[in-house]
Parts: sequence; C-alpha cells; structure tokens
Amino acid sequence: MNTERTYESAVARIEEIIRRLDSGEADLRETLDLVKEGRDLVEYCASELEAVSTGLQELRLEELVARLERTGSAP
Amino acid sequence: VDAVERDATASAPPAPAVHESNLPGPFPVGSYAAQLQARLRQFANVQLIGEVWGFRATRARVYFELRDERGALPCSMWRTDFDALGVDLADGLRLVVGGGCDYYPGSSTSSPSFTFVVSELRIAGEGDLLAQLERLRRRLAAEGVFELQKRLTRPCLPKTIGVVTGEQGKARDDVLAGLRRKGWAGRLVWAFAPVQDRRAAGQIAAALRELAAIPEVEIVIVARGGGSLADLFAFCDEALCRTVALLRVPVIASVGHHTDRTLIDDVAAVSCSTPTHAAEVAVPIDCRAARAELAADARRLHGHGHRAILARARTLGHLARAPSQHLGRQRRHLHQLLRELRASAKRAVEDGRSRAAVHLLVLRRTTARGASSDRDRRRSELARLSLALAAHDPERTLARGYALIQDREGAPLASASAARVAREVRLRFRDGTVPARVTDGDAS
Repeated sequence: MNTERTYESAVARIEEIIRRLDSGEADLRETLDLVKEGRDLVEYCASELEAVSTGLQELRLEELVARLERTGSAP
Repeated sequence: VDAVERDATASAPPAPAVHESNLPGPFPVGSYAAQLQARLRQFANVQLIGEVWGFRATRARVYFELRDERGALPCSMWRTDFDALGVDLADGLRLVVGGGCDYYPGSSTSSPSFTFVVSELRIAGEGDLLAQLERLRRRLAAEGVFELQKRLTRPCLPKTIGVVTGEQGKARDDVLAGLRRKGWAGRLVWAFAPVQDRRAAGQIAAALRELAAIPEVEIVIVARGGGSLADLFAFCDEALCRTVALLRVPVIASVGHHTDRTLIDDVAAVSCSTPTHAAEVAVPIDCRAARAELAADARRLHGHGHRAILARARTLGHLARAPSQHLGRQRRHLHQLLRELRASAKRAVEDGRSRAAVHLLVLRRTTARGASSDRDRRRSELARLSLALAAHDPERTLARGYALIQDREGAPLASASAARVAREVRLRFRDGTVPARVTDGDAS
C-alpha cells in the first residue's frame, strides 16, 4: 500500500485482496493476513463514506475563514 | 547610428569624445530624435485591440490609452476624424483601432512624445473577441498552461468541496442537485463572486486562491449558468487562467457556454457543460452504491476469514489425529505382513514335506529295485560257482569209474613215484576203499 492512503487506493486494494482470496491460491497464513488487511481497509473506507454521509454542511467562504482565524486551526 | 552620424556631421561638428566611454558620439539629441521618428514611422500600420482608458479631447486631437493585461499604448486621433465616427468612449470599452507609430521629437521648448496615430476606430465586436481569444489560447497552450491542472490527482471521495459561483444564480441549485444525485453529503464551501461582469476575473481568481488556501478543500467547482461570450469574457482572462493553472487543487469548470469555449474550460482539470454535471464529476463515485459495495466486500472478506479459520481447525484436527492413524496403518501393515509370512512358511513346509514324500517313495522304490537285483545276481553266481565246484568234485570222478590213490593216512598220491615211496597204499573206489601194495619197484 502507498504511504498516503486514499479511498480509491483502499478500494482498489480491497478488490485485489478479494480476487486473490477468490482464486483459492492463497495458503492459510496468507488468507488470514489478507482478511485482516481487508478488514482494516473496509473500516477506513467506511469512515471515509461516513464523513460524506452525515448531512450536507454548507458554509460561506468568509464564514469558514473567520472560523479558522478564530480557532487558529482547522475546523 | 550611421544615419545619426551622417546627419550629425552635416548639421554640426561632433563634440569632443568622452574619454571614459567606448560608445560612439556624443551626437546632438535632435538628430537622434529625428532618426527615431523616421524609424518608428517605418513600422507597419496594424490593427490593435484593447480597452480604452483616459479618453480626453482637445481642439485638434483626441487622446486615450489602449490597454490590455500585458501592456498599453498612448493613442491619438484627429478630432475631426473622431467626431465623424459618432461614438462615445468610456473607460473599459473594448476597441479595435488601426494606424501606426509616430514620434514627436519635441524641441528646445516642447516635450517629445510617442503616440499610436489612429486612423481607424471601431468598438470591438464578438468576432474581434474571438480572434483575440484564439491568439491567447494558442499562446497559453504553447506555454503548457493548459496541462498543469490535468496532472493533478482528483480525489475519488472528497470530503470538502469549494464552489465559486454567483450568489443568486441557478448554478448554485444545480450544483446541490448534482451532489445529491451522487448521494454526497459532506462539507460545501461557497465562495460567491460576480460571474456576469466581464471585469469579475480578479474577484473570481481571488475566490479560487482563498478556497485553495484552505487545506480541507480538495476540489473546486467554478460554475455559471451561461450567457453571451461577452458575458463570459471574465473566464477568458489571462491572469485568471494562470491563477487556475497554478492552484494546488483540481478545478472543474462549468461556465455553461455550449458554442464558444472559454479559456478557463481549457485550463481547468475538467470542463463540464452544466453545473450539475460538474458536481457529479467532482464526486466520481456514487456514495450510495459505494456503501452497498463496501458492505458486500466486508461480507466476502468475513466469509473468507470464516472459511480460513474452519480450514485451520480442520487442519489442526487432522494433524492431531495423524500420529495414531499412522501407527494404526503401520500396525495393520505389519499384521498383514505377518499373515503373509506365516502362510508362506506353511506353504513352504507343506511343499517340502510333499517333495520329501515323493523323494522317499522314489528312494524306496529305487532301493527295493537295487536289493532284489543284487540277490539274484549273487544267487546266480553261487549256482555258477556250485556248478564249477561240482565239476571238480573227486566223488563225481570216482562215480564215473575212476579210483583215487591214497596213502595210509588218506592223503592222495598223485604220482607213481609217490606211490612207490608210500608202498602201502589205499585204492578208493566209488563204492569203497581197497588196500594195496606197490611191487614193481622191488622187481626193478
């Protein structure tokens, strides 16, 4: 996996893992390792999807800038 | 320089040379200015397009500047020619002017000035704008400005999207509709800017820069609902295009003009025909479908994991049973070998016994045959010997009429001399013995 994980790279890796598992060529140890990696990736993707599922949040640029200036950090 | 030198030589003697400089001269400035005027007047007459600024009229001439984003020229026109056109010039009006360069060399009492002498003037039309646009497009393309945004990686699932659009326009609703269609419900940052005014390019560029400066913003949509090319000219601004090209985030342009493509369409990462489409492109995946697919993937992974654990348990069980099964197999094998060995030994003994019986029988028969033959042979030999002995028996000779001469003791006398010696002899016949005396010896 790349050091910078993205949703698309995670999905691509999950598909790759499932193809490998479906092939039946992975031995027991590899299967267990792949399943563990796949579950981690699914959790990551689920959290990414959750971030765009909680309800549309609309902000005006100036509101966001003011908020950033108040907090001095990311919202 | 040669012309200036020639002109200067004809008009006045050259001044003493400046020792510190290697340059030719010094020449009278008026001569140089006259040569400059002549040289500038050799420039070809052309048409220029730009925006008018600082228009002012005098009794004889009108003056204004023609500007664009890359430079400006002072222009002048005879007042009578200008009045004949019947146009009113205001700052910012886009003009096409025709004419050529001129230079007023001034004098000892008047200042010099450069001007583009306008002989033709008209307000720029759409064709002029398009021609200008094409020239700019070719230049930006040659510089590679259009490629920079295309190299950026667009996020598959942005969590924060920036949108530059007019606050009152329909584009805003269209963007929201497009995002809803993708099931996307993240954070949307609106940067409202005038998008109808062709002078709005600076504000649009500023809004883009501010959005791109927010780290959370992953992609920006520039949306507008359409309009004439003149209205859209803000999106052909060179400075705006260069701003977009250098942004760190991908820009999706949806300026909404179907027939004439604006320059921001070329420079953006993606150009879309409608704001709805731009929103859909900003979120490439369908979030609802992605959730369903992710759930399916999770189930498949769970299934594989479950089966793998069962397989491991089976393998462990098999491994645990393997030693006893192996021993059992070996034991059964040994028993089988033992049975075969016993059977083989039994068969061998029986075979041996059978062969021994046969041998014994053969031996007996052979022995029996040998013993009988020897006895007969010996019996026959005995008979033969008996017959031979019988042939030499003296009794049989006596029986045939012969007599045996014996001395008194009974010993046979086989010769006449022995008989003479003995004197007294016995004559043995078949039927008895007769004593006798030898007498011939006395007579001799």
